[in-house]
Amino acid sequence: MTSPVLRVALDVPLPRGFDYLAPGAQESDVGRRVCVPFGRGEKIGVILEMLAASELPPEKLKPVRDILRDMPPLPPDWLALADFCSGYYQHPVGEVMALALPPALRRRNVLPRLPDRNLFRITEEGRRALPSLMQRSIAARLLAALESNGAMTRDELRAISAAAAKQLPDLLEKGWLQAEREGRNRKAAVGPELLEEQRRAVDFVTQGFGRFAPYLLHGVTGSGKTEVYLRLIAGALERGGQALLLVPEIALTPQLEERVSNRFPGARLVSLHSSMAEGARAAGFLQALSGEADIVLGTRLSVFTPLPRLALIVVDEEHDPSFKQQEGMRYSARDVAVWRAKQRGVPVVLGSATPSLETWAAAQSGRYTLLELTARAVAEAMPEVRCVDTRREKLQDGMSEHLLRAIAARLERGEQSLVFLNRRGYAPVLACPSCGWVSRCPGCAANLVVHLADKRLRCHHCGREERIPVACPTCGNQDIHPFGRGTQRLEEALAARFPQARILRVDRDNTKSQSRWHAVLEAIHKGEADILVGTQMLAKGHDFPNLTLVGVLNADAALFAADFRAPERLFAQLMQVGGRSGRAALPGQVLVQTQYPEHPLYRALAAHDFAAFAAGQLAERERAGFPPFTHQAMLRAEAPELKQALAFLQTAAEIGAGLATGEVALYDAVPMRLHRLAHLERAQLLAESRSRPALQAFLSNWLAAVRVLKAPRALRWHIDVDPLEF
Amino acid sequence: MTAPQNRLTITGSIIELAQLRHTPAGVPVLNFRIAHASEQIEAGLPRKVECELQAVALGQTALLLQGAKPGDGTRLTGFLVAKSTQSKQPVLHVERIEFLEGSNHGV
Repeated sequence: MTSPVLRVALDVPLPRGFDYLAPGAQESDVGRRVCVPFGRGEKIGVILEMLAASELPPEKLKPVRDILRDMPPLPPDWLALADFCSGYYQHPVGEVMALALPPALRRRNVLPRLPDRNLFRITEEGRRALPSLMQRSIAARLLAALESNGAMTRDELRAISAAAAKQLPDLLEKGWLQAEREGRNRKAAVGPELLEEQRRAVDFVTQGFGRFAPYLLHGVTGSGKTEVYLRLIAGALERGGQALLLVPEIALTPQLEERVSNRFPGARLVSLHSSMAEGARAAGFLQALSGEADIVLGTRLSVFTPLPRLALIVVDEEHDPSFKQQEGMRYSARDVAVWRAKQRGVPVVLGSATPSLETWAAAQSGRYTLLELTARAVAEAMPEVRCVDTRREKLQDGMSEHLLRAIAARLERGEQSLVFLNRRGYAPVLACPSCGWVSRCPGCAANLVVHLADKRLRCHHCGREERIPVACPTCGNQDIHPFGRGTQRLEEALAARFPQARILRVDRDNTKSQSRWHAVLEAIHKGEADILVGTQMLAKGHDFPNLTLVGVLNADAALFAADFRAPERLFAQLMQVGGRSGRAALPGQVLVQTQYPEHPLYRALAAHDFAAFAAGQLAERERAGFPPFTHQAMLRAEAPELKQALAFLQTAAEIGAGLATGEVALYDAVPMRLHRLAHLERAQLLAESRSRPALQAFLSNWLAAVRVLKAPRALRWHIDVDPLEF
Repeated sequence: MTAPQNRLTITGSIIELAQLRHTPAGVPVLNFRIAHASEQIEAGLPRKVECELQAVALGQTALLLQGAKPGDGTRLTGFLVAKSTQSKQPVLHVERIEFLEGSNHGV
């Protein structure tokens, strides 16, 4: 008899499965992890399928070392999800799975033991059998304990006898015991009264349970989107389903976790994000896989969590760029979430105050159902947004008199202000006024940023760090100056201006650890700061009830950026950061300092009119042939020298030109905007089509040819489907 | 050719004194201005001379100057440097400073 052959996905950069002999394998092993010999070592892979025979001659096949049966197999829909991502994002399936599995499951090690919550009860047969058993036998002791205690968990039984675990299957088989799921109360606690619009949104989605239906929940800042999510999760749980709630990196806070767990005190909530300890991440993944978890709350990578009872997917702040992975497989967790909802036939709710234009266009065309929340849930009104014309005013440390007076007024009233400047550090560059030297990063096409607090120069692109020099390296002048303004300098200026105020800077430098970040949020909530100086970290999703003023500095640069998505991002950022103002009982105000107060973007912002802004942007994109009216993929190459990267892309372009049908356009290879990063020079090549299937078909043919191209050893390339960055 | 020279000694009273500041590396810097007045011989005849000069002191010299106030008389020795790439105005970079008693020294 011939041995069955297993096709295995391995974490190697080759776009195919690997065949191994597996004498003892069964069809039920598909989806299990497997340990196989590879090269001189061994690797852990995932079994994709069982074949009667391989296309390779049998003598070329090696046997597997071990099929790891210590956890349930990954379900077929999970394998299909990995396969879809592999095809769509043009990434080897083994690497997709390596990314989707928690690191602990990619190694051959002892799995984290889940707390066993099965309850065991004695049956009638067990009761009848009990008197006939040897009194001191393990079975008798276990049955007697169950008889007197009612239900017990495995761990409790183990306390009676260490051999309980071995005895249990036997006792179950004899019918003396029965196992049951711990009676769990998945009911939601009582929430606040819903507004009419919220109720309508909840009812609408609730009708869609059990089938694929995509929704855009467009709610102004402070309109209570989270409450809608919670009601929908309650609905999913009532149906015995699992809910997946995806949130942006920075929004995953203890406040949100607490809010979810307070609402569902009896449900099992699993939080997943990449900075978790490996054991905890693996345990969460396994709880979801076994169907034990009811709610999975996590950042982009949790879109790959296996969920056998999945009933609802929610993507909060769906426009957030952190849903797009920027390395390895460049997937969009939001887009994968929509695909997954379709695959599993469940509703998916994308929520945002400033939806991405892709999602907005889908809602306008009717592909997604648009649900609007136009009223704030708690606050009386939207904050008043005003532009401060900085052409007519002399700024003091970058701030207008108008803004300074507004801050002073908040201080007097005991309310909080936020000054928003999306640039961390003390100053963006150190320069010598004598000779014109500037602090360039030797590895990047960027400047080293002055961090005065710890006397360092840092590259915000490659992470290079050095001491601030005592003198100009070119001419020796010691009196070198930081030029421009970052959050540290702004903090210093505000401290000098308002010596009585408690000032708290909130940027990445000041919130390096999770615990520090949470402490900062806590301090703001407790009112331990009067003036916040912050970057976009503060823009997202936080509720600060006492914050009534947001001042925005230096926003104009993004108006004229080369990236066609820059206005969309600026608008979203300003609307989000402005939305922090006046969310509770106190009215809020937003002051935007600009030299272009008449710019349509600022006008739409002042009118809180996302629809008008989006319509204008979409019209421009349609004229220019940009997404969502076209679909794009970017081939990028990096090499020690720019000409190597360009030459590689040029060859790729020539091959592509031979493969492309009329529906796909290939542009010229060009240097990237940040054309040098960490000593590598970078270039890119854009492929574009009005038809997504045409682009997809082209990409798989094209990349098959690109993969076998000869290239300099040090050259690296990757493909980015639906790129966000240019 | 002789080596280029750049050395100036001048007396004057302080007329403006900025706040002490520090370079990013932490070296103290003090910008100030002096007014000079004296009698000099020009083409064989005496004449009155007045001028103002920007000056800067770094390091220990800056700390020494920190206690000074406008009106104080000083004798400064240093070299001249253009203010910046944009302005070629000379600034006296002070290496040595002596405070002069009384008010009629060079004023």
